[in-house]
Amino acid sequence: MSTTTMLQLLGSGMIKTAAIFFLTLLFSLPLGLLFSFGRMARNGLIRGITKFYISVMRGTPLMLQMIVVYFAPYYVFGMRIPSGYRFTAVIIAFVLNYAAYFAEIYRSGIESIPRGQYEAAEVLGYSKAQTFVKIILPQVIKRILPPVTNEMITLVKDTSLAFVLTEVEMFTAAKQIAAKETSMLPLMVAGVFYYIFNLVVAAVMEYVEKRLNYYK
Amino acid sequence: MQDKVLKISHMKKIYGDLVVLKDISLAVHKGEVVSIIGPSGSGKSTLLRCATMLEKMDGGELTYLGERAAYEESGKCVYVPKADLKRIRKHYGLVFQNFNLFPHYTVLKNIMDAPVSVDKVPKAEAKERAISLLKQLGLEDKMDVYPHQLSGGQQQRVSIARALALQPQILFFDEPTSALDPELTGEVLKVIRQLAEQHMTMIIVTHEMQFARELSDRIIFMEQGIIQQQGTPEEIFTAPNARVKEFIGKFAG
Repeated sequence: MSTTTMLQLLGSGMIKTAAIFFLTLLFSLPLGLLFSFGRMARNGLIRGITKFYISVMRGTPLMLQMIVVYFAPYYVFGMRIPSGYRFTAVIIAFVLNYAAYFAEIYRSGIESIPRGQYEAAEVLGYSKAQTFVKIILPQVIKRILPPVTNEMITLVKDTSLAFVLTEVEMFTAAKQIAAKETSMLPLMVAGVFYYIFNLVVAAVMEYVEKRLNYYK
Repeated sequence: MQDKVLKISHMKKIYGDLVVLKDISLAVHKGEVVSIIGPSGSGKSTLLRCATMLEKMDGGELTYLGERAAYEESGKCVYVPKADLKRIRKHYGLVFQNFNLFPHYTVLKNIMDAPVSVDKVPKAEAKERAISLLKQLGLEDKMDVYPHQLSGGQQQRVSIARALALQPQILFFDEPTSALDPELTGEVLKVIRQLAEQHMTMIIVTHEMQFARELSDRIIFMEQGIIQQQGTPEEIFTAPNARVKEFIGKFAG
C-alpha cells in the first residue's frame, strides 16, 4: 500500500468519524430533550414508555442496536435494504442511543432547578413555554455542561463501533492498514487522532463553561 | 373603581388528610396594609399561595377587583378559564422569602423582562420604569450586576422592584425578611414602609411583630387554618385574646 493510499484511507476515515460525531450530536441533543419531557410527563403511560426505552437503549450494546436498526426494514417491514442505508443506520442508532443518555442528563438538570424559579415566573405571568425557554433552559444548560462533555468524549471513541456495519471510520481504516502493512503505526496514528479530537472537544466545552460563568 | 382589591370567601385547602385552611374569609381594600402573623404551620403561607394561585384551593371563592378567579360549584372549587386567570394575575404581585430572582439575568433584566415579554411594554419604556424603580429603592448603581453579586437585602429589594414593574394593584409578601440577617432586614422593611406611605395595597406575612404593629392598618392572627383574631394593631397588641397574647409574648421575649 502506498503512502498516498494510506493517507487517503486515514483521511476519509477521519471525515467519517467526524461526520458520525457531529450528526449524532446535531440530532440527539434536541431529541434527548424531547425524551426527557417524556420521562417527566404527567401521563403515566408516556412516562413508562420513555423510561422503558431509555433502559433498553442504555442496557444493550450500541453495536447490537446498529445491527437491529440496519436490518429492521427487512425483518420488520419486508423491505429491501437500500444500498446507501448503512451510514444512515449508523447515524439513526447513534442518535437513538445517545438521546437516551442525554434525556437523563437533561432530566437531572431540569429537576435541579429550584421550584421557586417556576413559581416566580408563574406569578410574573410568563407562559409555560416562556418559562422553560427563557428561565429554566439557560440554567439547565449551564448545569449539564460537565456531564454532556463526558458523553461527547465517549461519543468520539464510540464512533469506532460503526465498523460493525462496515462503515470505514478512522479506527477501521487504521486497522486495515495495520493488517496490510503488519505495522502498529497506523493504530498509533489513530490513537493520536482520537486523543487530539477529544482535546479539542474538551477545550471547546471548557470555553463554553467559562463563557457561562458570569452567573451562579 | 372597585374598592375591594381582594376578596376571599370561605377559602379551604386540604393536603391529603390535613386541612391547612379551614374557612378563611378576608377582604382587603385599596391602600390597606394587612399583616398576617401566627405560628409556623398555621396556614399563613398557604393562604398567600392560594391567593396568588400557586396552589389550587379546595373550596371557597377568590376575587380580585370584582373579577372572580375561582368559585365553588356543587362542593367543588372551579377556576375561571385560563385566559381570564392570566388577566387576573396581572392584578397582584408576590415577593418570596427566598427572592427567587433569575440568576442568569442582570438586575435590570430581572425587572424589565416580564413587562416586555408578558405585558408587551415597549423595551424603552420598560427600561425607564425599571431604572426609576431602582432609583427609588436605592439600587441604580446595581442595574448591570447579577443577583449573586448582591447581598440578600439587595436581592430582596430587586425582587420587590421586579414585582412592582408589572404595576400590580396589590402586593403580597411571604416572610420577606426571614432569609435575611437582622442588619439586612432593616433595608427591606424600609422599602416596604416606603410603599405603605405611597398607599400600595399590601398583604404581608411576617414574624416582625414590631414592624407589623407600626405599619399595618390591620393585623390578622392565624392559627390552625383559621383567622383567630383580627383588628387594628392597637386591638391586637393591647387587648389580645389569650392565645394571641401568648404568641406575641414569645416575641417580646
